[in-house]
Amino acid sequence: MTQVSRRGLVLGSVASAILLGDRALAQDSYPNRTITVINPFPPGGASDVVTRPLVAAVEPIVKQPVIIETKAGAAGAVGAQFAANAKPDGYTLLSHITSISGFAEVDRLFGRQPKFTNADFIPIARFVADPCVLIVNDQQKWTSVQDFIADAKARPNQIIYSSSGLYGALHIPMALFAKAAGDLKLRHLPTTGGGPAVTALLGNNAQALASSVSACLAQIKAGKARALASFGGERSKALPDVPTMKELGFNVEYYLWVGMFAPKGTPEPVITKLREVFNKAAHTDQFQAALVNLGQELAYLDQPEFAKFWDQDAKRIQEAIREIGKVEG
Amino acid sequence: MESTFDSLLLGFSVALRPDVLWYAFIGCLVGTLVGVLPGIGPLAGISILLPATFGLDATKAVIMLAGIYYGSQYGGSTTSILMRIPGEASSVMTCIDGYAMAQKGRAGAALCIAAVGSWIAGTFGVLVLTVIAPPLAAFALRFGPPEYTALLVLGLIFLAYMSSTSLPRTLLMAAVGLLLGTVGIDNMTGHFRYAFDIPELGDGIGIVPVAVGLFGLGEILSTPSANVVGKVLTPKLRELLPSRSEWRESAMPIARGSVLGFLVGLTPGSAHIISSFLSYAVERKLSKHPEEFGQGAVAGVAGPESANNAASTGAFVPMLALGLPTGPVTAVLMAALLIHGIPPGPTLVNDHPDVFWGFVASMYVGNVMLLALNLPLVGLFVNVLRIPYAYLYPLVIMFCIVGVYVVNSSVVDVWIMLGMGVLGYLLRKLGLDPAPLVLGLVISPIFEMSLRQSLIMSDGNWTIFFTRPIALVLLLVAVTLLSLSGLSLLRKRRDWRAQLAEVEAGE
Amino acid sequence: MTPRTDQVAGVAAIIIGIVVLALSGDLPFGSLSFPGAGMWPKLICVLMIGLGLLLCLGGSLSRPLAEVGWSDLPHAAIVTAVTGAAIAFYATLGFIIIATFLIAGSVMLERRHPLVALIYGASVSVAVYALFTILLKSPLERGLIGF
Repeated sequence: MTQVSRRGLVLGSVASAILLGDRALAQDSYPNRTITVINPFPPGGASDVVTRPLVAAVEPIVKQPVIIETKAGAAGAVGAQFAANAKPDGYTLLSHITSISGFAEVDRLFGRQPKFTNADFIPIARFVADPCVLIVNDQQKWTSVQDFIADAKARPNQIIYSSSGLYGALHIPMALFAKAAGDLKLRHLPTTGGGPAVTALLGNNAQALASSVSACLAQIKAGKARALASFGGERSKALPDVPTMKELGFNVEYYLWVGMFAPKGTPEPVITKLREVFNKAAHTDQFQAALVNLGQELAYLDQPEFAKFWDQDAKRIQEAIREIGKVEG
Repeated sequence: MESTFDSLLLGFSVALRPDVLWYAFIGCLVGTLVGVLPGIGPLAGISILLPATFGLDATKAVIMLAGIYYGSQYGGSTTSILMRIPGEASSVMTCIDGYAMAQKGRAGAALCIAAVGSWIAGTFGVLVLTVIAPPLAAFALRFGPPEYTALLVLGLIFLAYMSSTSLPRTLLMAAVGLLLGTVGIDNMTGHFRYAFDIPELGDGIGIVPVAVGLFGLGEILSTPSANVVGKVLTPKLRELLPSRSEWRESAMPIARGSVLGFLVGLTPGSAHIISSFLSYAVERKLSKHPEEFGQGAVAGVAGPESANNAASTGAFVPMLALGLPTGPVTAVLMAALLIHGIPPGPTLVNDHPDVFWGFVASMYVGNVMLLALNLPLVGLFVNVLRIPYAYLYPLVIMFCIVGVYVVNSSVVDVWIMLGMGVLGYLLRKLGLDPAPLVLGLVISPIFEMSLRQSLIMSDGNWTIFFTRPIALVLLLVAVTLLSLSGLSLLRKRRDWRAQLAEVEAGE
Repeated sequence: MTPRTDQVAGVAAIIIGIVVLALSGDLPFGSLSFPGAGMWPKLICVLMIGLGLLLCLGGSLSRPLAEVGWSDLPHAAIVTAVTGAAIAFYATLGFIIIATFLIAGSVMLERRHPLVALIYGASVSVAVYALFTILLKSPLERGLIGF
């Protein structure tokens, strides 16, 4: 993905002009080649299922191939770091979720120089904001959040909850909840993603999990998992009977959102073009239909609003991480 | 049973519709192609075709994408046999005896056996899937981190126990692989391990560069053209087909590989790779002529190639029955279903019988299609061996580079491949087998993760591995194998001393 | 005592184990109830050193090092050097030029006619490039020639 400057070589231009004629002239207009969207989570995860149909909707608009490159690892830090170091030419974008705001805070916690911060990315747009839901597996007796809290207080550090990874997107809501419910002592089982976290719950290797609604809806409907409370500001349309944390008196709000970012330094005209492109793509019937199928709905925010939302969200998350504190090991 | 039969009839009525057949064919074709080409694998193939499925209905989409997945397991053996480059990571074991067979002029037979074995294993897998998917899936769910840790311990010891060289040598190679597998960001704490500030290493060392380097390039390095000149490898037409004795020798390995592969396929992780290693080890142990392994034993091709196909079918069980993907490929397939509004999960069979049974039936059809696609290709591919070595080996080097590069578009990966080629050359000088190294690399992240998760679950109590029944059984088997091999090691030592004494006495 | 192959391998394993252990000083071992990033690699290093010792001790049975033939070394060295050069310039020059150079160069080393080698190399490279870039949508490095 590093051809542009090299193609600026005199020899290169001559060669391509000779070989390709008019193709060389097309270089000024963005985009004129494959755009790569970095997906920092394993396939099938929350960001993957949204990004794939989105990219499919973007492709006909930009009339260039748009490919998803999966760079999974370290709860999404690997992909984010890769994107932060990518050339800011608009040909490498990053699709990331809520947890992007946490990495720098974790690095500070460990006394490390952050590998990247939020300032390394330019927000382009937010597409969905799915509230998390607290689920327990069908082998547990808890039917309400109160049951759960009572049992957790009676047996400190015995109830295990799974997550998508340490300080990851599904670890933070549990930490927020545990704090709000009166410093519950729960044991944390990190896995490699949202899917494995659900697997751990269903196999009773973990008993609780804060999952995205879309990732566990099928299991809830089949009775394999029970939803106790949702982390949204209002009840989820897919689960109208499940109370929100706020209704129950816990001041916790948490969304799994998926947004698109460009590396810092991407030229302004390119960003403008990208905002236009993603706005159009997000509002296609094709993409919205895909979201409905996923049990989600479009929660589109264009750059200015998204930037404001992101700021607030980041503060919440950074607080949660300081709350979790440094985990030795 | 009768209802299963009825459902299957419904499935076939979907799968045999001409338009559905067409998409199954495209999937199988692309699968074969990405399988044949080294490096580029089913995940890449599926990603290429995924956008094209958004316009299709869910049944066609998943049938086509699944075709790529199991189709790639067919094609993976081709370059392994002809050039000793693993076409897929799961074909590493096929490199050993497949290539040895090719050098003896039996390339056609090896390719045929691989295709037929794949077909039998694939069909067997679908058959089991049809009949007992739900209970099997429930069993797979009982494999938590402690069980998986125990399974991997057993797998490693099993492999070492069954290997031809000594136990410490095999384990040493596996340890090198395990160590290579620790490079990169630690998934649980975010620490950078041995990455030396090379961003590409943060992602870890890939399987493809290591496997292609050790086997493909390593072979080229230790084969100067002078050694090859004069060796005529042009296969005659009638030699393309396996002989009767070759069929006989592969029957049982195919059967065992199918069962073994399917069972391993149910577990999470890189099951299709692991299953091929296990199958190879089993076949060598059970063979009447273990010394032939590595020299072109047909069982060494038949077993692993069947196992990796059965495993790729087995991997569908947790996905379809529980909505839980066990690996990246099934995860993408699941995402494809989700995007089409069909959430895979416990309710899939009842809510969308046409999708579920259509998909199952299409796998029967797809496997037949793949056999029909692959057998004629044998005659075509074997012609690669007619290319004089001086022209062939630069081609192999180029394919090694391309295959490794396209996985991540990373030149660092290609450097790793070159380094591994040199390592493979040196290992050969020392008489060390590189295959366990690849296995170690594959399982290292899963092994570490499940070990650490187990310890977290038990709050640091090691007994968790002995208090859960499945884990305990697996570990007991491992201990038994270890003591058996320790015993035979001692016995061999005595034999050797006795022999030496005899020799000295003779003098 | 003549060195044996197993003893060489054993000593190498011990050295690697010690070096990696030294490199992992800053990786925390963690505790049993929350194992750290350093636990697994350190366990494997210990395993490697142990296996290395075992090989050294039992190595007297293996083949003497002196028996290993090195007749293929010049070939291996040349191929490694040519491949290394090809990788080093791969990003700058692009796939087609590099592959042509690699294939043609290797074929010429086998004392075939340079022109034949060149035509063979170029045509194979272009065909493979087209296969991957157009059919498989997995672009290879373009380099100087921009397709």
